[in-house]
Amino acid sequence: MSVGGGAGGAPSAIDAKKLRIYGLVGSVVGIYLAAILNSALNTTLFSFVGAVASIFAVVMGANAVRRVCGYGIGTGVPSIGMLALGMGIIATMFGLSVAEAMGFGLLGPIIALVYAMVFGYIIGVIANKVIKFNIPVMEEGNADLSAAGTMAILGWSFAISGSLSYDAIVTNVLMTGYIAIIFIAGGLAILHPFNACLGPDEKQDRTLVNGIMIGGLAMVATGIAAISTQGLASGLLLTVIGFIVWYYFFMWYYRLTKRDASAVVGTGLLPPSAQ
Amino acid sequence: MDAFSMGLVAAMGALATVAGASEDIESDIGSQSNPNSQVQLAAQVGNPHRIYNKAISGEPPANALWAATAAIVAYMLITAFQMPAFSALVIGASVAALFNGVFSMSSYFGRNASQARFNQWIYLDIVRYTTPSIMAHAWITSFCIATISYIMAYMLPTPHPFPMPIIALIWGLAVGAIGSSVGDIHYGGEREFQNRAFGCGLNTMLSGNIVRKAEAGLRNSVDNAWFCTKFGGPATGMGFGLTVFLDNWRSTVFDPVTQAPYAIAMGIFFIIVMTLYANYVEKSARRKYGPYPEYKGDVAA
Repeated sequence: MSVGGGAGGAPSAIDAKKLRIYGLVGSVVGIYLAAILNSALNTTLFSFVGAVASIFAVVMGANAVRRVCGYGIGTGVPSIGMLALGMGIIATMFGLSVAEAMGFGLLGPIIALVYAMVFGYIIGVIANKVIKFNIPVMEEGNADLSAAGTMAILGWSFAISGSLSYDAIVTNVLMTGYIAIIFIAGGLAILHPFNACLGPDEKQDRTLVNGIMIGGLAMVATGIAAISTQGLASGLLLTVIGFIVWYYFFMWYYRLTKRDASAVVGTGLLPPSAQ
Repeated sequence: MDAFSMGLVAAMGALATVAGASEDIESDIGSQSNPNSQVQLAAQVGNPHRIYNKAISGEPPANALWAATAAIVAYMLITAFQMPAFSALVIGASVAALFNGVFSMSSYFGRNASQARFNQWIYLDIVRYTTPSIMAHAWITSFCIATISYIMAYMLPTPHPFPMPIIALIWGLAVGAIGSSVGDIHYGGEREFQNRAFGCGLNTMLSGNIVRKAEAGLRNSVDNAWFCTKFGGPATGMGFGLTVFLDNWRSTVFDPVTQAPYAIAMGIFFIIVMTLYANYVEKSARRKYGPYPEYKGDVAA
């Protein structure tokens, strides 16, 4: 049952193309910057830059969920978020292992991203043509979602392992089981914003601010995990920055809620119109 | 199989029973998952209400998040600081409950703000007194699930090969799925439409016409916890408890490495017995209570 999703082609103040560019450039540049800073200075303190990079991807993903699910997919919002991270995890491991096999470990994120977008587009075509969803932005949306899922997983995996090498990520993220929290917190960061704001008066800015807020929460979780893989200093730094991001955007989200709601009251009975 | 591992399996079954019950009640206080669509529709058909609207995806991903959060925190504390497992699990569950609070509040704010045109207000007193009871139930669920994962990963004679956070993620998904399919029906079918005859089903015409008034004043979500504790919660607990207990029982009685075929055969046997029993229960309920009095036969689609 659809639970009153926004009208087809949800109106947006920020263009999807612009958000895609911000998301892709922000996440790729952030992950590389973090990797270069960490290896050049021989430290793990800059792992938090990788986690911040993931938030750019999350915003792009949340907007893609908003666009695709704006066509009346209510209960499918969680599924599409899980799909994004499922595609992302395959693309990440593929990209990193292929880059490692080729001898250019640093190419991993680019290979993963290209693979993810192609993979996502194909899944979008299947969803539209075979399963017959008939949603105009499905192909584009799935390519965006897959890319967002990949960059989110990559950024947060980097934040936990402190290195982009395939072996380090397998040892620190997969074998320890921390991939569980990246998968589920990343998935919710992408799907929760639109799911939480679903309704006819949903606004793009409120939805995306919610995405950044949940991204901050996921940063806190990865920071906690990083304490055991990278030590107290890097892990706590990541946790504290995540908390600041969360707090700032939570307050912003609350302001936007007060702006959009018909009334925010301390307590009271039903509105006069309903009594 | 020694007495110690049998004790562990029994403890896991007991923990799972508690986790299932608290999971269902947590989702009912927040009107999450299936019954959420009626709470969401209520305002849209002109019935604004004072019921919590906690739309955090479906229950499986949400509970997987709480369980995985509790497990990673506990795992980190155990591996990095050699903290005693019990304290680590308690701290993990507390972090998970805080996460739950943030998600719950953000959905309540978001969903209700997106219904501005239907005059659905946001009541801050609801946020203040309902969110803590949701968080408390999430604490119980995540503590129990993380403890089950800890037992499976470290204490069983044949430890599970997966790391603890992954096991917690999988059990979190499982408890969410079971809560969504077992307990929600009690809340969605019986509590939201308490003023209709028992078992009448949901006529499309009634969509969104949920009960909004209580014995005195307006109905709130904490009242729903009181109602659902009577049947939906325990039924979910039994469902999840049996799942965890029977599943671990067969792999503890039969060694999963040397006697794998027996363990698999026992699993298939359980499935067959349960399918037959479910069929019997449904048939006997239909025989005893018969069709609903106003049932006029199937309507052609």
